[in-house]
Amino acid sequence: MKLIGCDVGGTFTDLVLVETEAGTTVIHKVPTTPHDPSEGVLEGMIGLCALAGVAPGEVDHVLHGTTTATNAVLEHDGAVAGLITNAGFRDILHIGRHQRPEHYSIRQEVPWQDRPLVKRRFRKTVGGRIAPPGVELEPLDEAGVAQAARELRDAGVEAIAICFLFSYLDPAHELRARAIVEAECPGLFVTHSAGVSPQFREFERFTTTAMNAFIGPKVGAYVARLESRLAENGFKADLHVMGSNGGAATARMVAELPVSTLLSGPAAGIIGGAWAAALSGRRDLITFDVGGTSADIGIVRDGAFAEATARDTSIAGFPVLAPMIDIHTIGAGGGSIAHLDAGGAFRVGPRSAGAVPGPAAYGRGGTQPTVTDANVALGRLDPENFLGGAMSLDVAAARRVVGELAETLGMSLEETADGILTVVNANMANLVRSRTVQKGLDPRSFSLVAFGGGGPLQAVDVAAMLGIPEVIVPPAPGITSAMGLAATDMKYDLVRSVFARSDAPDPGRLEGLLEEMQRELAARLSADGFGPEAMAFERAGDLRYVGQGYELRCAFPAGGLDAASLAAVFDDFTEQHRREYGRANPGAPIEIVNVRVRGTGAMPVLERPAPPPGGSLEAALVRTSQVAFKVAGAMTRLPTPVYRREALPLEEEIPGPALIVQKDTTSILRPGDSLVADRGGNLLIRVALEG
Amino acid sequence: MSTASTIDPISASVIQGGLQSIAVEMGYKLMRMSYSSIIRESEDFGAALTDAQGRQIAESMQSTPLQSGPIAGYVQNVLKVLEARGETVEPGDIIMHNDPYGGASHGPDFAFMAPVFRDGALQGFACTTAHHLDVGAQTPGSAGIVEAIDVFAEGLQFKAVKIREAGRDIKQVWQILRSNVRAPSLVVGDMEAQIAACEIGAARFGDLIDQHGAGRVTAAVDALMDHSETMMRQAIAALPDGVYRAETKLDGFLDDPERRHLTMAVTLTVRGDEIEVDLEGTSPQIDDRPVNMPFVGTTDIAIWLTLRSVLLDSAVHGIIPQNSGLTRPITIKAPKGCLANPTFPAPVIARFTGGNQLADTVMKALSLCAPEMVSAGIGNLKVIAFSGLAGGEHWVHMEIFEGSYGGRFGMDGMDAVDTLYANTRNNPIEDIETHLPLRVTRYELNEDVAGPGKWRGGFGSIRAFEFLADGGASVEGEGHAFRPWGFAGGGEGGTASLTSVAPDGTAKAMPSKLAYRAARKGEVFVATGPAGGGYGDPFERDPQAVLDDVLDGLVSETSARELYGVAVMGGALDPAATAALRAKGAK
Repeated sequence: MKLIGCDVGGTFTDLVLVETEAGTTVIHKVPTTPHDPSEGVLEGMIGLCALAGVAPGEVDHVLHGTTTATNAVLEHDGAVAGLITNAGFRDILHIGRHQRPEHYSIRQEVPWQDRPLVKRRFRKTVGGRIAPPGVELEPLDEAGVAQAARELRDAGVEAIAICFLFSYLDPAHELRARAIVEAECPGLFVTHSAGVSPQFREFERFTTTAMNAFIGPKVGAYVARLESRLAENGFKADLHVMGSNGGAATARMVAELPVSTLLSGPAAGIIGGAWAAALSGRRDLITFDVGGTSADIGIVRDGAFAEATARDTSIAGFPVLAPMIDIHTIGAGGGSIAHLDAGGAFRVGPRSAGAVPGPAAYGRGGTQPTVTDANVALGRLDPENFLGGAMSLDVAAARRVVGELAETLGMSLEETADGILTVVNANMANLVRSRTVQKGLDPRSFSLVAFGGGGPLQAVDVAAMLGIPEVIVPPAPGITSAMGLAATDMKYDLVRSVFARSDAPDPGRLEGLLEEMQRELAARLSADGFGPEAMAFERAGDLRYVGQGYELRCAFPAGGLDAASLAAVFDDFTEQHRREYGRANPGAPIEIVNVRVRGTGAMPVLERPAPPPGGSLEAALVRTSQVAFKVAGAMTRLPTPVYRREALPLEEEIPGPALIVQKDTTSILRPGDSLVADRGGNLLIRVALEG
Repeated sequence: MSTASTIDPISASVIQGGLQSIAVEMGYKLMRMSYSSIIRESEDFGAALTDAQGRQIAESMQSTPLQSGPIAGYVQNVLKVLEARGETVEPGDIIMHNDPYGGASHGPDFAFMAPVFRDGALQGFACTTAHHLDVGAQTPGSAGIVEAIDVFAEGLQFKAVKIREAGRDIKQVWQILRSNVRAPSLVVGDMEAQIAACEIGAARFGDLIDQHGAGRVTAAVDALMDHSETMMRQAIAALPDGVYRAETKLDGFLDDPERRHLTMAVTLTVRGDEIEVDLEGTSPQIDDRPVNMPFVGTTDIAIWLTLRSVLLDSAVHGIIPQNSGLTRPITIKAPKGCLANPTFPAPVIARFTGGNQLADTVMKALSLCAPEMVSAGIGNLKVIAFSGLAGGEHWVHMEIFEGSYGGRFGMDGMDAVDTLYANTRNNPIEDIETHLPLRVTRYELNEDVAGPGKWRGGFGSIRAFEFLADGGASVEGEGHAFRPWGFAGGGEGGTASLTSVAPDGTAKAMPSKLAYRAARKGEVFVATGPAGGGYGDPFERDPQAVLDDVLDGLVSETSARELYGVAVMGGALDPAATAALRAKGAK
């Protein structure tokens, strides 16, 4: 089986071709073409096939990570969208939760008011009302729907969202309205809230649906364009797109539900990190992806990634109710600028030098000290071997800008450079703590998987701050997301709000609903060409104590729900509540707010790539540099060997200090750390911990 | 001078990041564990760390300013009270406190605090505050109580009461609570969530001290406060020295001639890098109606919040740590016995909207020396406590009704949001109707009412609730009588109103403060929110912006013509007619 993973990033489009039987991979990188990313994708795929000696027609699957949806939201560059909603509720999208984004600001913007997904002039209201527990209070005004649709169409609206209160209890009005709108407005993108996310909380659900309409035409056009370009160039494989939920979906599904791809790229990164770590048998992971301006953190437990709770997911200030892998981002990366703020406090980021001018060490006119400059000043980036020698580093410039800051601080240059790294690493460690310690997880039982250009540079220091004993650097840290694409399965999620209580358990009703959801997913997977043997289903619920407003995710047993297994689910909730909040309330009634089913279609995966050839320390040694480390509290220059990664001997312990250079990153070992390059292709770094 | 200079800026930054993430975790967990919608949805809670003297170090980002801001005041009062009683704080204590004249500023807000000990000494507190559904006042709920004659009529008062002493739970105190509040399981569940969040915060705070050492943490805290103080002093120093006065009017009790139309007066004196805020001229306290605002916990917070939001606006300056250092350059004077500095036991439970009016008055005074940093007058808020009996148990639902902001330099006002010192959230309609015998029948913007201006005021909302069963309601609100102020040639905004519509269609206007009264099944409460004042001459408003408002159905063609001098015909601008209108109307 031949798979291509293709991840479109801001600067580069990364591609990997995997032959699952032979266990080989071929990597390619081309510049991203922002005006139409499908151009770069196509060019990259043709080049990749040529490199691999594979004809386009021989490729079995193409898996794609795209930022088209994300950029449309971030840049607020989407379709002219319309909304049809209940009479009396024209402004749910505009009033939101009536909370200002910031407490202490007069001059703030309110995203949903200043940058509406649907302008008020295109928000139409019609009669009809559903109320709990799913009763029709007032029939749908069908003539009103038809008229609203015509008015929107005539006004030039390109996409229509249909959002009615309580549609998650009974979608009949939305479905009927949708049929009317589709009849009135053939060719328009139409979406309805129960189809996007049948969960309670109207502002969040309506916003998600409106966003789906806002980005729908653009994503649909992009996917169609890419599909036809691929077909014109001899590719016969179906195009699959990575979703925010960590699974791929067909191009058709994505065109209907583009809002499910907002975290396409970062999700692929976590999957790639987990895939790589699994090659070394590691299954409890913190993924650590550091780029130029930001760092992404993900948690993988027993090989499975965590999913964000629906109340925590947002983009550009808008809430999004869509299943998303739990990824947390902070504005801290290689380009983050160190500075004293107006009150004289030392800060690193969130301001970034970006790609232009970039760090001073890039020699493109950067004049402010960045994290990268601190690394260069300490000798941790080898100026001759940066990006595989493709770019040289201006060490003098880095030392000059860090030195200027040092003078202001009254500290030595090296203490200042170390301070920059300490502050940025502490910020990253706090983020990891918020996803582990604060969830009742002990980071010391995890491995830190470091990738992206900057991950392996900072990883050992961050791990040491958290007491994490091991850092894993995957084979090609710069293209981990593309690897993740080639390693992913097809995944579809369904969710329904049920409000089922533990003091009136009705496992029969839940089981019936779960089976119905499972049948729907099976039909979808079947349409994608998966046989029953390749399908798997996972069930889960969002639970809370009756009266609470936030839920915890509990897995449901694989077999059917009965009284005993339902009781076990409630016990699991109690235990999770205790772990996360430090206490539980045994005996208090529990409520299952939502039930969820995830259907997975297993794709062929690269299970065991051929081991790297291995070499020797002598062959790997590039030079010995003088690199500054903190030893017994003082900055000290130590002779530090610089090794080429591809020539390292396998399964041999290599002591720190050392720098390991490769085309896409540099890994650092401090004195006391040690490293093994294993047969799985990873670098396994044992982190020296204090105490 | 503090010990701040003894720590390097890098260590200070690392420790401060740790402190901030502890406060965030406390708030996050309190919100997730709590039961009543006033905490978990409205976010009417606070979480913060203080040092051993009760100075605030860091606060949760989620909490509302009116809850986090007062935490320093609570802790300082508790320390004072304990000392006066000859008691001490011990490891393993949890202290409960809701003294309206001791930091809480009204009885429904309870603080719980967990002390942190290291090296045998008190290092600080982890503290949470939250608004509770009921504290055993004369009528159900803890908002809309507008007829108490003194603080004793407002419910239970706990003054620095240990609910856990040296690790041992004092069960009798819980029993007193359970026997004296309505909806006790919700109230107690929320309090337990507060305690759990304090315990987490105290444990993490202790870990941080273990990691860095008490001396270095203290030094980092001093540096943090000095930093915030420096930022505030710089911002004040940038203002022209001078004396700036402003007044606004409160509804008071509109149905009671002796207690309506109260005055809020603010005199700001800017001198170098310090500000004095004097409330001389503010109406005297009302001895037997609970709209008085305790100096500590309401008056001080309203003033600090406004100065901070205008002078160190986070949209302009980025995030500046919120801590006690920010308030050092600010002196507040309020005559004893005025509305903003009442004497015990004057009642205070309904001080919420008055405090927000004070915040607005401070902004009005600031508009004289920082015109491009303020908004025109804000629309004030309203709280309705809906209640009833179902199956022998009380249900209580408190809903905060949004106001709106005045126009800003270069920006229109924010529509239908909480204003100034409040920043809560509404409850989802789909949550309300699922759990309560209430139905929401309307929730949208109130069209064609907004202070006209070059940058117009924000629009208010219309929100209507129908009772699906017999019950009752009480109301505390503001802004029915006086329109939010316009600025620099902008027009005034619009007043709020509240109407009851009986099942037979009979409509009846209600005042902004309404003591508990029964409501019948089928009765609808329609609340119309206020609209913010306009900023600048409306005849200078960009005609395209006026057209956009017309197309969006927010401004009528008539208003466009009369208020803005803009002619809109068939969905398009008529430039010639607009020029003529503006020439004629220009002053």
